[in-house]
Amino acid sequence: MRSIHRWVLLACLLLLSSCDQNQQVKDSQLSLMKTTNPSPIVTQKNKSKDHVKDIEQDVSSFPELYDVAVVKGKKDTLVVYKVKHLYRFKMKKIEKDINKMLEQKYPDENFTISSDYKIFLETVRLDEKMKSSKYKGKKAENRFNEIVNMTKDLK
Amino acid sequence: MATSKQKNMTPQQRNYQQLQQKHEIKRPVLKNCIKAFFVGGIICVIGQAISYFYIYYFDFTEQSVGNPTVATMVFLSMLLTGFGVYDRLGQFAGAGSAVPVTGFGNAVISAAIEHRTEGFVLGVGGNMFKLAGSVILFGVFSAFVVALIKTLLVIWGVL
Repeated sequence: MRSIHRWVLLACLLLLSSCDQNQQVKDSQLSLMKTTNPSPIVTQKNKSKDHVKDIEQDVSSFPELYDVAVVKGKKDTLVVYKVKHLYRFKMKKIEKDINKMLEQKYPDENFTISSDYKIFLETVRLDEKMKSSKYKGKKAENRFNEIVNMTKDLK
Repeated sequence: MATSKQKNMTPQQRNYQQLQQKHEIKRPVLKNCIKAFFVGGIICVIGQAISYFYIYYFDFTEQSVGNPTVATMVFLSMLLTGFGVYDRLGQFAGAGSAVPVTGFGNAVISAAIEHRTEGFVLGVGGNMFKLAGSVILFGVFSAFVVALIKTLLVIWGVL
Protein backbone atom coordinates (compact mmCIF):
# COMPACT_ATOMS: atom_id res chain seq x y z
CA MET A 1 0.00 0.00 0.00
CA ARG A 2 2.85 2.33 0.92
CA SER A 3 4.55 1.69 -2.41
CA ILE A 4 1.33 2.67 -4.26
CA HIS A 5 1.31 5.97 -2.33
CA ARG A 6 4.91 6.56 -3.37
CA TRP A 7 4.07 5.95 -7.04
CA VAL A 8 1.05 8.29 -6.85
CA LEU A 9 3.21 10.97 -5.20
CA LEU A 10 5.88 10.57 -7.87
CA ALA A 11 3.28 10.83 -10.65
CA CYS A 12 1.84 14.01 -9.04
CA LEU A 13 5.32 15.52 -8.76
CA LEU A 14 6.07 14.77 -12.41
CA LEU A 15 2.72 16.25 -13.45
CA LEU A 16 3.26 19.41 -11.38
CA SER A 17 6.81 19.88 -12.64
CA SER A 18 5.57 19.66 -16.21
CA CYS A 19 3.11 22.48 -15.49
CA ASP A 20 5.94 24.95 -14.69
CA GLN A 21 4.89 28.37 -16.00
CA ASN A 22 8.43 29.54 -16.72
CA GLN A 23 9.01 26.87 -19.34
CA GLN A 24 8.94 28.12 -22.89
CA VAL A 25 6.39 26.06 -24.77
CA LYS A 26 6.38 26.08 -28.54
CA ASP A 27 3.04 26.28 -30.33
CA SER A 28 3.80 23.05 -32.19
CA GLN A 29 4.16 21.19 -28.88
CA LEU A 30 0.52 21.85 -28.05
CA SER A 31 -0.94 22.28 -31.51
CA LEU A 32 -2.66 18.89 -31.35
CA MET A 33 -4.56 19.93 -28.24
CA LYS A 34 -5.23 23.66 -28.33
CA THR A 35 -6.07 26.39 -30.80
CA THR A 36 -2.89 27.90 -32.22
CA ASN A 37 -4.17 29.98 -35.18
CA PRO A 38 -0.78 30.22 -36.92
CA SER A 39 -0.15 33.31 -39.01
CA PRO A 40 -0.45 32.91 -42.79
CA ILE A 41 2.77 31.65 -44.36
CA VAL A 42 4.31 32.52 -47.72
CA THR A 43 7.33 30.40 -48.59
CA GLN A 44 8.63 32.77 -51.24
CA LYS A 45 10.57 35.86 -50.25
CA ASN A 46 9.25 39.38 -50.88
CA LYS A 47 5.70 38.23 -51.49
CA SER A 48 2.79 39.94 -49.77
CA LYS A 49 0.79 38.01 -47.17
CA ASP A 50 -2.44 39.97 -47.77
CA HIS A 51 -3.82 37.51 -50.29
CA VAL A 52 -3.13 34.53 -47.98
CA LYS A 53 -4.73 36.43 -45.08
CA ASP A 54 -7.91 36.83 -47.13
CA ILE A 55 -7.98 33.08 -47.82
CA GLU A 56 -7.51 32.35 -44.11
CA GLN A 57 -10.34 34.70 -43.15
CA ASP A 58 -12.67 33.14 -45.70
CA VAL A 59 -11.95 29.62 -44.45
CA SER A 60 -12.19 30.69 -40.79
CA SER A 61 -15.72 32.00 -41.46
CA PHE A 62 -16.97 28.39 -41.52
CA PRO A 63 -18.62 27.83 -38.11
CA GLU A 64 -17.54 24.16 -38.02
CA LEU A 65 -13.82 25.01 -37.94
CA TYR A 66 -11.73 26.32 -35.06
CA ASP A 67 -8.12 26.47 -36.20
CA VAL A 68 -6.99 27.37 -39.70
CA ALA A 69 -3.52 27.53 -41.26
CA VAL A 70 -2.79 28.63 -44.81
CA VAL A 71 0.56 28.24 -46.59
CA LYS A 72 1.21 29.72 -50.00
CA GLY A 73 3.91 28.00 -52.00
CA LYS A 74 5.24 28.58 -55.47
CA LYS A 75 2.47 26.61 -57.20
CA ASP A 76 0.16 25.26 -54.53
CA THR A 77 -1.72 26.77 -51.62
CA LEU A 78 -2.18 24.53 -48.62
CA VAL A 79 -5.23 25.04 -46.41
CA VAL A 80 -5.28 23.04 -43.17
CA TYR A 81 -7.98 23.23 -40.54
CA LYS A 82 -9.31 21.53 -37.44
CA VAL A 83 -12.98 20.59 -37.25
CA LYS A 84 -15.01 21.06 -34.06
CA HIS A 85 -15.63 17.74 -32.34
CA LEU A 86 -19.38 17.46 -32.93
CA TYR A 87 -19.01 18.28 -36.62
CA ARG A 88 -16.42 15.57 -37.28
CA PHE A 89 -19.16 13.29 -38.62
CA LYS A 90 -19.54 15.72 -41.52
CA MET A 91 -15.85 15.98 -42.43
CA LYS A 92 -16.32 15.03 -46.10
CA LYS A 93 -19.14 17.53 -46.60
CA ILE A 94 -17.15 20.30 -44.91
CA GLU A 95 -14.13 19.55 -47.14
CA LYS A 96 -16.35 19.64 -50.21
CA ASP A 97 -17.91 22.98 -49.16
CA ILE A 98 -14.53 24.59 -48.46
CA ASN A 99 -13.13 23.34 -51.76
CA LYS A 100 -16.15 24.70 -53.65
CA MET A 101 -15.97 28.09 -51.95
CA LEU A 102 -12.23 28.45 -52.57
CA GLU A 103 -12.47 27.40 -56.21
CA GLN A 104 -15.25 29.90 -56.80
CA LYS A 105 -13.51 32.78 -55.02
CA TYR A 106 -9.94 32.13 -56.11
CA PRO A 107 -10.12 30.35 -59.51
CA ASP A 108 -6.43 30.97 -60.30
CA GLU A 109 -5.12 29.21 -57.20
CA ASN A 110 -4.30 25.51 -56.92
CA PHE A 111 -5.60 24.47 -53.49
CA THR A 112 -4.69 21.45 -51.38
CA ILE A 113 -7.07 20.98 -48.46
CA SER A 114 -6.58 18.81 -45.41
CA SER A 115 -8.06 18.34 -41.95
CA ASP A 116 -5.35 15.92 -40.80
CA TYR A 117 -3.67 16.72 -37.45
CA LYS A 118 -0.27 15.65 -38.78
CA ILE A 119 -0.46 18.11 -41.67
CA PHE A 120 -1.54 20.84 -39.26
CA LEU A 121 1.34 20.03 -36.92
CA GLU A 122 3.87 20.12 -39.76
CA THR A 123 2.45 23.46 -40.94
CA VAL A 124 2.88 24.96 -37.46
CA ARG A 125 6.42 23.55 -37.32
CA LEU A 126 7.18 25.11 -40.71
CA ASP A 127 5.84 28.44 -39.45
CA GLU A 128 8.07 28.26 -36.36
CA LYS A 129 11.15 27.36 -38.38
CA MET A 130 10.53 30.21 -40.81
CA LYS A 131 10.08 32.65 -37.95
CA SER A 132 13.36 31.57 -36.35
CA SER A 133 14.99 32.04 -39.79
CA LYS A 134 16.17 28.42 -39.93
CA TYR A 135 14.27 27.95 -43.16
CA LYS A 136 14.43 30.38 -46.00
CA GLY A 137 13.44 30.36 -49.65
CA LYS A 138 14.19 27.06 -51.31
CA LYS A 139 14.45 25.05 -48.10
CA ALA A 140 11.03 26.21 -46.97
CA GLU A 141 9.58 25.53 -50.42
CA ASN A 142 10.99 21.98 -50.36
CA ARG A 143 9.51 21.30 -46.93
CA PHE A 144 6.21 22.75 -48.09
CA ASN A 145 6.19 20.41 -51.10
CA GLU A 146 6.89 17.47 -48.77
CA ILE A 147 3.87 18.42 -46.66
CA VAL A 148 1.68 18.72 -49.78
CA ASN A 149 2.85 15.28 -50.91
CA MET A 150 1.91 13.92 -47.49
CA THR A 151 -1.69 15.02 -48.08
CA LYS A 152 -1.71 13.24 -51.43
CA ASP A 153 -0.78 9.97 -49.71
CA LEU A 154 -3.94 10.28 -47.64
CA LYS A 155 -6.23 10.17 -50.66
CA MET B 1 -41.96 -19.63 -21.12
CA ALA B 2 -41.11 -18.66 -17.57
CA THR B 3 -44.78 -18.32 -16.55
CA SER B 4 -45.70 -21.74 -18.00
CA LYS B 5 -42.80 -23.28 -16.06
CA GLN B 6 -44.02 -21.59 -12.86
CA LYS B 7 -47.53 -23.03 -13.42
CA ASN B 8 -46.15 -26.57 -13.62
CA MET B 9 -44.21 -26.19 -10.37
CA THR B 10 -45.30 -27.92 -7.19
CA PRO B 11 -45.94 -25.68 -4.14
CA GLN B 12 -42.73 -27.01 -2.63
CA GLN B 13 -40.71 -26.01 -5.68
CA ARG B 14 -42.36 -22.58 -5.68
CA ASN B 15 -41.50 -22.07 -2.03
CA TYR B 16 -37.94 -23.16 -2.68
CA GLN B 17 -37.62 -20.74 -5.56
CA GLN B 18 -38.93 -17.88 -3.43
CA LEU B 19 -36.43 -18.77 -0.71
CA GLN B 20 -33.64 -18.99 -3.24
CA GLN B 21 -34.54 -15.59 -4.72
CA LYS B 22 -34.52 -14.14 -1.21
CA HIS B 23 -30.96 -15.31 -0.54
CA GLU B 24 -29.58 -14.79 -4.02
CA ILE B 25 -26.79 -12.21 -4.16
CA LYS B 26 -27.80 -9.48 -6.58
CA ARG B 27 -25.36 -8.65 -9.32
CA PRO B 28 -24.13 -5.06 -8.97
CA VAL B 29 -24.93 -4.24 -12.62
CA LEU B 30 -24.63 -0.45 -12.28
CA LYS B 31 -21.36 -0.72 -10.35
CA ASN B 32 -19.95 -3.11 -12.96
CA CYS B 33 -21.03 -0.76 -15.76
CA ILE B 34 -19.33 2.20 -14.09
CA LYS B 35 -16.13 0.19 -13.55
CA ALA B 36 -16.16 -1.00 -17.19
CA PHE B 37 -16.84 2.55 -18.40
CA PHE B 38 -13.90 4.06 -16.53
CA VAL B 39 -11.36 1.31 -17.18
CA GLY B 40 -12.37 1.09 -20.88
CA GLY B 41 -12.15 4.88 -21.05
CA ILE B 42 -8.68 4.91 -19.49
CA ILE B 43 -7.51 2.28 -22.02
CA CYS B 44 -8.85 4.49 -24.83
CA VAL B 45 -7.10 7.56 -23.41
CA ILE B 46 -3.82 5.61 -23.36
CA GLY B 47 -4.47 4.60 -26.99
CA GLN B 48 -5.12 8.22 -27.94
CA ALA B 49 -1.91 9.30 -26.20
CA ILE B 50 0.05 6.63 -28.09
CA SER B 51 -1.43 7.73 -31.43
CA TYR B 52 -0.52 11.38 -30.65
CA PHE B 53 2.99 10.18 -29.80
CA TYR B 54 3.29 8.51 -33.22
CA ILE B 55 1.86 11.57 -35.00
CA TYR B 56 4.19 13.91 -33.12
CA TYR B 57 7.48 12.01 -33.32
CA PHE B 58 7.07 9.92 -36.48
CA ASP B 59 5.74 10.47 -39.99
CA PHE B 60 2.30 9.01 -39.34
CA THR B 61 -0.81 10.90 -40.37
CA GLU B 62 -4.14 10.76 -38.59
CA GLN B 63 -5.31 8.07 -41.01
CA SER B 64 -2.23 5.85 -40.91
CA VAL B 65 -1.56 6.14 -37.18
CA GLY B 66 -4.22 3.52 -36.34
CA ASN B 67 -2.02 0.58 -37.34
CA PRO B 68 1.01 1.23 -35.08
CA THR B 69 -1.29 2.31 -32.23
CA VAL B 70 -3.29 -0.92 -32.36
CA ALA B 71 -0.08 -2.95 -32.62
CA THR B 72 1.39 -1.18 -29.58
CA MET B 73 -1.78 -1.57 -27.51
CA VAL B 74 -2.03 -5.29 -28.33
CA PHE B 75 1.66 -5.79 -27.55
CA LEU B 76 1.32 -3.97 -24.20
CA SER B 77 -1.72 -6.05 -23.23
CA MET B 78 0.18 -9.22 -24.19
CA LEU B 79 3.04 -8.22 -21.89
CA LEU B 80 0.63 -7.34 -19.08
CA THR B 81 -1.15 -10.68 -19.52
CA GLY B 82 2.20 -12.46 -19.27
CA PHE B 83 2.99 -10.60 -16.04
CA GLY B 84 -0.47 -11.46 -14.67
CA VAL B 85 -1.61 -7.84 -14.42
CA TYR B 86 -4.24 -7.85 -17.16
CA ASP B 87 -6.11 -10.81 -15.61
CA ARG B 88 -6.60 -8.81 -12.42
CA LEU B 89 -7.74 -5.84 -14.45
CA GLY B 90 -10.18 -8.13 -16.29
CA GLN B 91 -11.61 -9.37 -12.99
CA PHE B 92 -12.13 -5.79 -11.85
CA ALA B 93 -13.40 -4.17 -15.05
CA GLY B 94 -14.98 -7.05 -17.01
CA ALA B 95 -16.06 -5.85 -20.44
CA GLY B 96 -14.15 -2.59 -19.94
CA SER B 97 -10.90 -4.48 -20.45
CA ALA B 98 -12.21 -7.18 -22.84
CA VAL B 99 -13.97 -5.03 -25.45
CA PRO B 100 -11.07 -2.71 -26.45
CA VAL B 101 -8.42 -4.12 -28.77
CA THR B 102 -6.27 -4.93 -25.73
CA GLY B 103 -8.72 -7.75 -24.94
CA PHE B 104 -7.60 -9.42 -28.17
CA GLY B 105 -3.99 -9.60 -26.98
CA ASN B 106 -5.16 -10.92 -23.65
CA ALA B 107 -7.24 -13.66 -25.35
CA VAL B 108 -4.26 -14.83 -27.43
CA ILE B 109 -1.69 -14.92 -24.64
CA SER B 110 -3.93 -16.34 -21.91
CA ALA B 111 -4.85 -19.26 -24.19
CA ALA B 112 -1.16 -19.79 -25.00
CA ILE B 113 -0.19 -19.78 -21.32
CA GLU B 114 -3.05 -22.11 -20.42
CA HIS B 115 -2.00 -24.78 -22.96
CA ARG B 116 1.76 -24.38 -22.50
CA THR B 117 1.98 -27.74 -20.68
CA GLU B 118 0.69 -29.57 -23.78
CA GLY B 119 3.77 -28.58 -25.79
CA PHE B 120 4.70 -25.79 -28.16
CA VAL B 121 3.08 -27.12 -31.34
CA LEU B 122 -0.06 -28.94 -30.23
CA GLY B 123 -0.46 -26.94 -27.04
CA VAL B 124 0.54 -23.33 -27.67
CA GLY B 125 0.29 -23.35 -31.49
CA GLY B 126 -2.94 -25.32 -31.63
CA ASN B 127 -4.81 -23.43 -28.94
CA MET B 128 -3.36 -19.92 -29.17
CA PHE B 129 -6.12 -18.70 -31.50
CA LYS B 130 -8.93 -20.69 -29.89
CA LEU B 131 -10.62 -17.47 -28.74
CA ALA B 132 -9.00 -14.87 -30.96
CA GLY B 133 -9.29 -16.94 -34.15
CA SER B 134 -13.02 -16.28 -34.43
CA VAL B 135 -12.38 -12.54 -33.96
CA ILE B 136 -9.85 -12.57 -36.81
CA LEU B 137 -12.13 -14.63 -39.05
CA PHE B 138 -15.18 -12.43 -38.48
CA GLY B 139 -13.04 -9.28 -38.82
CA VAL B 140 -11.52 -10.33 -42.13
CA PHE B 141 -14.83 -11.57 -43.52
CA SER B 142 -16.83 -8.49 -42.51
CA ALA B 143 -14.05 -6.24 -43.90
CA PHE B 144 -14.31 -8.17 -47.18
CA VAL B 145 -18.10 -7.72 -47.28
CA VAL B 146 -17.88 -3.99 -46.47
CA ALA B 147 -15.16 -3.49 -49.12
CA LEU B 148 -17.32 -5.33 -51.64
CA ILE B 149 -20.33 -3.11 -50.87
CA LYS B 150 -18.19 0.03 -51.08
CA THR B 151 -16.68 -1.04 -54.41
CA LEU B 152 -20.15 -1.66 -55.84
CA LEU B 153 -21.41 1.70 -54.58
CA VAL B 154 -18.39 3.46 -56.11
CA ILE B 155 -18.92 1.65 -59.45
CA TRP B 156 -22.62 2.57 -59.46
CA GLY B 157 -21.72 6.19 -58.67
CA VAL B 158 -23.54 6.37 -55.31
CA LEU B 159 -20.37 7.32 -53.41
